[in-house]
Amino acid sequence: MNDIRNQHRTQLSLRVMQVLFATLCLVVLGRVFYLQVIEYEKYSMQGERNSIRQEIIPSARGLVYDRKGELLVSNEPIFTLTVNPATYDTSNNKLLAKLLDVEVSQIREQVKTARRYSWYRSSPLLSDIDFTQFAVIQQNLWQLPGIGHQLESKRTYTDKINASHIFGYLREADTKDFENNTSLFLGDKIGKSGLELIYEERLRGESGLEFKRVNAYGQALGSFVVENEGTNPIAGANIITTIDADLQAFAEDLMIDKTGAIIVMNPNTGAILTMVSSPNYQVDRLAGRLDRTYWAHINSDSTRPLFNRAVSSRQPPGSTFKPLMGLIGLEEGLITPTTNIPNTGGYQRGRLYRDIAPKGDYNLEKAITFSSNTYFYKLMDDIASSGRLNIWSERVKDFGLGIDLEIDLPSATTGIVPDSAFLDRWFGVRKWGLGDLINLGIGQGVMSVSPLQIATMTSAIANGGYRITPYLVEQLETPYSTNFPNKRNPSKIEWVQKKHLDLVKKGMRGVVQEGSGRFYVKNDSIAIAGKTGTAQNPHGYSHGWFTSFAPFENPEIVVTVFLENAGFASISAAPIARLLHEYYLRDTYNSYVYNYVKNWEPREDNSNQTAE
Amino acid sequence: MASIQKDLDWTSVLLWIGLSIIGLIAIYSATQGPVSEFLPTFIQNNFWKQLLFVGISLGLLFGIQFINPTIFKNFSYVAYAVSLLLMVYTLFFGQEINGAKSWLRFGGFGLQSSEFMKITTILAAANFLTSRRNLATEQIRYALVSFLIIFVPTLLVIAQNDFGTAIIFLALIPVILFWSGLPYGVALLMVSPAIILYLSVFSWVYGLIAMGIITAGVLFLQRSKWLTIVSVIMGSATVVVVQLALTKILQPHQVARVIAFTNPSYDPTGAGWNVIQAKTAIGSGGWTGKGFLEGTQTQLRFLPEQWTDFIFCVVGEEFGFLGASILIMVFMLFLLRLLQLSINHKNPFAQLVTLSVAAVYFMHFFINVGSATALLPVIGIPLPFISYGGSAFIANTLMLAICLNMDLYKREFSIYS
Repeated sequence: MNDIRNQHRTQLSLRVMQVLFATLCLVVLGRVFYLQVIEYEKYSMQGERNSIRQEIIPSARGLVYDRKGELLVSNEPIFTLTVNPATYDTSNNKLLAKLLDVEVSQIREQVKTARRYSWYRSSPLLSDIDFTQFAVIQQNLWQLPGIGHQLESKRTYTDKINASHIFGYLREADTKDFENNTSLFLGDKIGKSGLELIYEERLRGESGLEFKRVNAYGQALGSFVVENEGTNPIAGANIITTIDADLQAFAEDLMIDKTGAIIVMNPNTGAILTMVSSPNYQVDRLAGRLDRTYWAHINSDSTRPLFNRAVSSRQPPGSTFKPLMGLIGLEEGLITPTTNIPNTGGYQRGRLYRDIAPKGDYNLEKAITFSSNTYFYKLMDDIASSGRLNIWSERVKDFGLGIDLEIDLPSATTGIVPDSAFLDRWFGVRKWGLGDLINLGIGQGVMSVSPLQIATMTSAIANGGYRITPYLVEQLETPYSTNFPNKRNPSKIEWVQKKHLDLVKKGMRGVVQEGSGRFYVKNDSIAIAGKTGTAQNPHGYSHGWFTSFAPFENPEIVVTVFLENAGFASISAAPIARLLHEYYLRDTYNSYVYNYVKNWEPREDNSNQTAE
Repeated sequence: MASIQKDLDWTSVLLWIGLSIIGLIAIYSATQGPVSEFLPTFIQNNFWKQLLFVGISLGLLFGIQFINPTIFKNFSYVAYAVSLLLMVYTLFFGQEINGAKSWLRFGGFGLQSSEFMKITTILAAANFLTSRRNLATEQIRYALVSFLIIFVPTLLVIAQNDFGTAIIFLALIPVILFWSGLPYGVALLMVSPAIILYLSVFSWVYGLIAMGIITAGVLFLQRSKWLTIVSVIMGSATVVVVQLALTKILQPHQVARVIAFTNPSYDPTGAGWNVIQAKTAIGSGGWTGKGFLEGTQTQLRFLPEQWTDFIFCVVGEEFGFLGASILIMVFMLFLLRLLQLSINHKNPFAQLVTLSVAAVYFMHFFINVGSATALLPVIGIPLPFISYGGSAFIANTLMLAICLNMDLYKREFSIYS
């Protein structure tokens, strides 16, 4: 009977099993119903997102031309190796490093980074592979699963000019850039200096989008391409600069092994024809794959090749400031064209301010031509004593000194032109006096300017008293539009009178004919007017200035040369300016002066005592 | 004598054929789809190999019907011993695939010894239990031996690093004990830790609620003070252990896997990847699916192991709720039919074997589909008759063939038994 009871009991157990299995099967069915019917919307969208990869088609970066249409900066295709961590076998690191001729550790690091970014998607491994290496990799691809490539582009530069400070370099966008600009993608390169930085938005254009079906490994599947969902990339605007490539090349040649800056500018518009900062760097070595050793080298170099001296260097203007002093003195009525101030070897006011110009009487024209310090000490003393310091400061700023010139380059300095508020901050309220001001009359003391500002000041004198804004980009061109980002009408500096200007200009013409410029600048063919200057340098030889314009009657260009540790400007900076005037206006140059400049070496001077 | 034509349980055979065809369709889609050129060749061949396995199995299914059913009982211990040796051999000389060292290579084909171990374990355990005169688990010694018969191969499977299969073996224990007369309340008590553990992973509150309900059930069924106390202690201990494991004992990456199960977006490219992709595949199928060979998740290989462990997703994505529910219903009918065969049989050995076979199928089904639908953590285990895999398909068919054989000869059976 026990058997029958058992039989009963097992029958019941099996029925319970049937119910249990059926119930659990229905639970599963319910779950499937929930996923497929109730949550369908959610998962169908996710499914689409999953398999449709948004691919970015980079836009072609805008090209850069010189004023005559010569191509200066363009793009060149490069191969970038990619790695897909899901399929890549790390035991191939060694082989890959050998084929690519890089350190194994570099490959290892890159693979790690790629893994962190995404396990299933390809990430850049090494960019800018040269073509022979690329070919070798392609031959060995069968033993390198997970390795692929993509076509990218890098900047390529004309051989004719360096102009690294004008163009600037590109670097991969960093975290900060991503915060500021949401349209950037990982791996995008953006301008970090020069025109590349200032015109980044316009040069970059807009990336296109392409929607592709891809599998889980990120492999694009041709047969699954989604039609007409993407957008085409919009190429960046081409830039037509104001640079004269021939003149730039010539100027760069003159500056080899010298430290300093050159600005050549159209005084009537502010267009910069040439801008050299020396020493420079090889901007092409920063394109494509970053040359780490080179990057470290130029960053640590004590001569600071990355520093754009033409716009960022801050120096006392020295005697180049004297013509502007004259204009202010005349306008304020503190002097007249015939005011005579005798030089007896210096100006006595509390102490002796030395002057090594030949002793004798000086009117304004003569004081500029022979660079008499006494004349301008006295003038500055009068300005300060009559409570006109702040008026003086305003008028100086009208000529572009001590203000932001708004040039289309980054990190241009405003320089310093003091007023009473500034001096209160600088020395402390009532901690300064006449003794701190008299030096300003000859462009020394608490005052600093950039070569670009001296060029701008000279332009305003040359063009008859108009404010100009220096600029490098004439035109931005896309297939659909052309615009002139720097087109501005120069405005007259109201207080400047033509007769005063003519007098000052005559003084500057005299510099070349009879003054310090007579050695190397004077020539029969071009009427050049200019002014030398010395920027005292406590660390070594003085820095030399020469700023000039020509032709005298109807100025077409302003040339400003600044040489560090040059000693006498008249025999260092001035000859360079002369060659540039000749080259630009006459298409030729004096070979004697050229050889002199090329073989020139800085020599000791006692410029503190020199009238320049 | 029974006639195959008349007495074979054609219902089961038809359901078996149905499942095999669903499997072939899914495998075709997973390995021969429009972009299969991206798959390794050996995987592209899977469909054709599976076709071959189905053919072989069909032959076996009918061939075995000519065998005298006494053989299964009489040779059960020998077969058990042989497969144990094979398991040990595999452990030392086997080949590792996907982390599990459970394969023996013969030419182009691999043999997964644990699949055959399932059959012999079922036969041996059933033989042992039904040979006792007084069939009752109250006898501790019997219970212990039958427990060992199942537990030894379980250990070997674990040693082969195949936890999915180990769970299948372990699940046999309550089923067999339940069948052999374990009181319902005790049976409930025995499975309670698993249920409470499962729920505790989500929240300790769920764990405690489950403990309360189960304890009430135990009290109602057994009316035993001691069992009730044991139930409370065991249940609470499980909840505490899970909490400790999650917060103190497990390594961060292990915790990540557990959390990824309850919340896949916690780690979408790591542990949660499979779960997200599987759910996405099934969920995006909708009512009628995206169509044969049109499933983006499947064709673009967002599903890992889509021809084996995640094959349910292929069906769900391409044939939608319609296809998935057909698969589930066919499977359910198949299981219920097997249990019915067990009920209809008067012989305890045949009854227990058939029940165990059904239980093994069920566990596979529940864990596999449960993993794919994120009801359960991802446990790699194939779906019987659907997933690709020769050893599994043949072994599963063999089990069915044995059940059908015993059913076919059930009227003659008592003579042998």
